[in-house]
Amino acid sequence: MELANTLSQDGESRGGVLAHLERLETQVSRSRKKMEEPQSAQAEESALGTRIHELRRLRDKLRAEVKQHQASVKASTTNVESDQTSEITEQESLKRKRENVKAILQAYRFTGISGKLTSRGACVCISTAFEGNLLGSYFVDLVMRKPLQIHHHSIPVFIPLEEISAKYLQTNVQHFLFTLCEYLNAYSGRKYQADRLQSDFEAFLAGPLQRNSLCNLLSFTYKAEPEGQSFPFCARLLYKDLTTTLPTDVTVTYQGTDALSTTQEEQRAAHENLFFTKPLHQVFTSFARKGDKLDMSLVS
Amino acid sequence: MDETVSEFFRRTILKIPLTEMMTILKTWNFLSENQLQTVNFRQRKESLVQDLVLLCEENRASLNDAALLDIIYTQFHRHQKVWDVFQMSKGPGEDTDLFDMEQFKSSFKKILKRALKNVTVSFRDAEENAVWIRIAWGTQYRKPNQYKPAYVVYYSQTPYAFTSSSQLKSNLPLLGQALTVASKHHQIVKMDLRSRYLDSLKAIVFKQYNQTFETHNSTTPLQERSLGLDINMDSRIIHENKTEKERVQRVTQEIFGDYPQPRLEFAQYKLETKFKSDLNGGILAEREEPLRCLVKFSSPHLLEALKSLAPAGIADAPLSPLLTCIPNKGMNYFKIRDK
Repeated sequence: MELANTLSQDGESRGGVLAHLERLETQVSRSRKKMEEPQSAQAEESALGTRIHELRRLRDKLRAEVKQHQASVKASTTNVESDQTSEITEQESLKRKRENVKAILQAYRFTGISGKLTSRGACVCISTAFEGNLLGSYFVDLVMRKPLQIHHHSIPVFIPLEEISAKYLQTNVQHFLFTLCEYLNAYSGRKYQADRLQSDFEAFLAGPLQRNSLCNLLSFTYKAEPEGQSFPFCARLLYKDLTTTLPTDVTVTYQGTDALSTTQEEQRAAHENLFFTKPLHQVFTSFARKGDKLDMSLVS
Repeated sequence: MDETVSEFFRRTILKIPLTEMMTILKTWNFLSENQLQTVNFRQRKESLVQDLVLLCEENRASLNDAALLDIIYTQFHRHQKVWDVFQMSKGPGEDTDLFDMEQFKSSFKKILKRALKNVTVSFRDAEENAVWIRIAWGTQYRKPNQYKPAYVVYYSQTPYAFTSSSQLKSNLPLLGQALTVASKHHQIVKMDLRSRYLDSLKAIVFKQYNQTFETHNSTTPLQERSLGLDINMDSRIIHENKTEKERVQRVTQEIFGDYPQPRLEFAQYKLETKFKSDLNGGILAEREEPLRCLVKFSSPHLLEALKSLAPAGIADAPLSPLLTCIPNKGMNYFKIRDK
């Protein structure tokens, strides 16, 4: 360009001024731009800013909605659940209560006399025990009528039920039941002792145990030491009182022909006393223990 | 061994069915295991019996051993005999019954032997403190007839004795006396109860036939039990009179219970009553004297049959108390007169 060429004579000054001006112009435009930029940027910024705000607001709104929705769903489900669980727990608790009561009623057996109401009256159960061992149970089905009647029962035929009911059934049912309970418990106890003697102490018996239905007469020949030198004694136990488990009469005799020595006589009397005071099987347990003691003395 | 005893053995063993031979001989426990092993049980019965009699001779078997075998056979075949029931009673205010089995046996035997020189008495202990007694009767001059013995079953400390109806009825009072005195009772009375089924008679007089009791342990409520109507049988079948049927079932169940009935073969009613008729007139209605007739109900199992009458529609429910009182009263022979 000429200008540029003409400038070149002045050299720098002409080229310089125009160029300078040009430079200034560009500077200004640049700075104007720059000035504009922040403005637009600012505008943009503010626009963005507002957009951000909006979006945030929207986000918060949606968040809130979601939360609310979740909460409501939760609430509704927990409502349903709590209804159900409260129903279930109510049912369960009733069921548990019922089973509890039923178990208590069943456990009443352990008191000895328990019962259940029937359509006719009541069915009474007498549970017998001896020395902490639960033995047989016997039933009396009563008909609540005037006069009070026994519909059917499981009392053994040799227990004097008719006698007892003739005395007490109409006048005092409680006494009737207690008396029956006494007789049955005593019978069960005597039977238990006789059974134990037969099964656990067979080695001590020289012959079979003689007994009867009520187990109120027991007769047997025994040795205090099954393999030892002791003499066989004959024992005869009578239980005249049907309400007791210990004998009322005891006779221990020696079957041999020679007279007894003093020690043997002492032993015989001691045995008699034992049979009077201790249950039968316990007497034989003490015989067995004495035998053990003797063995120990031999060893030492 | 005596010829008569040998013959007694032969006839007793011959009675035993081959299927039961081993069991009965083992229960008798007179011939040892070794001895029994030497016998061929597959041969003809006649020869088998001969072999067994020879073994008994070897063991010097006595009349009592033969009687014992006879008791065992009868215990296995108790239904072949018809049993009567006797009831004994004590005086008022008696002491406690201290029953001694050995004393009872010796006392019983003594009384019979004192009255009749010729009598065979044998005992066999049974369960539940009972005793089976076999009595072969003779007379002052004749030896006991071993082929027509009487049997008595007595449960100690009970008032009841069961006797097989002996053909020799003349000895019955003596038997009663021996029983009464030996068991320390005062009186004996024959009950109006008779059957082949000894166990049922025992269940009736001991009142053991109904052993169902309501307890808190039982889980089956009464309504759950099927009423026997089987409504699910076929949907095309409709039960008419359902309420009536249910009533009948209920009444039957109340009277007969749920338990198996004791077994009796008959019930006999001797009627001596005036004729009763709904219709006016008629020859019999004017008759002043009572009519005498015998009504007998027979069945292989009478009480079960009676129980099924109303549900089957053959009779009205409730049945006549004359029929339903049988186990309760312990009677199956009745004499009915006008009051």
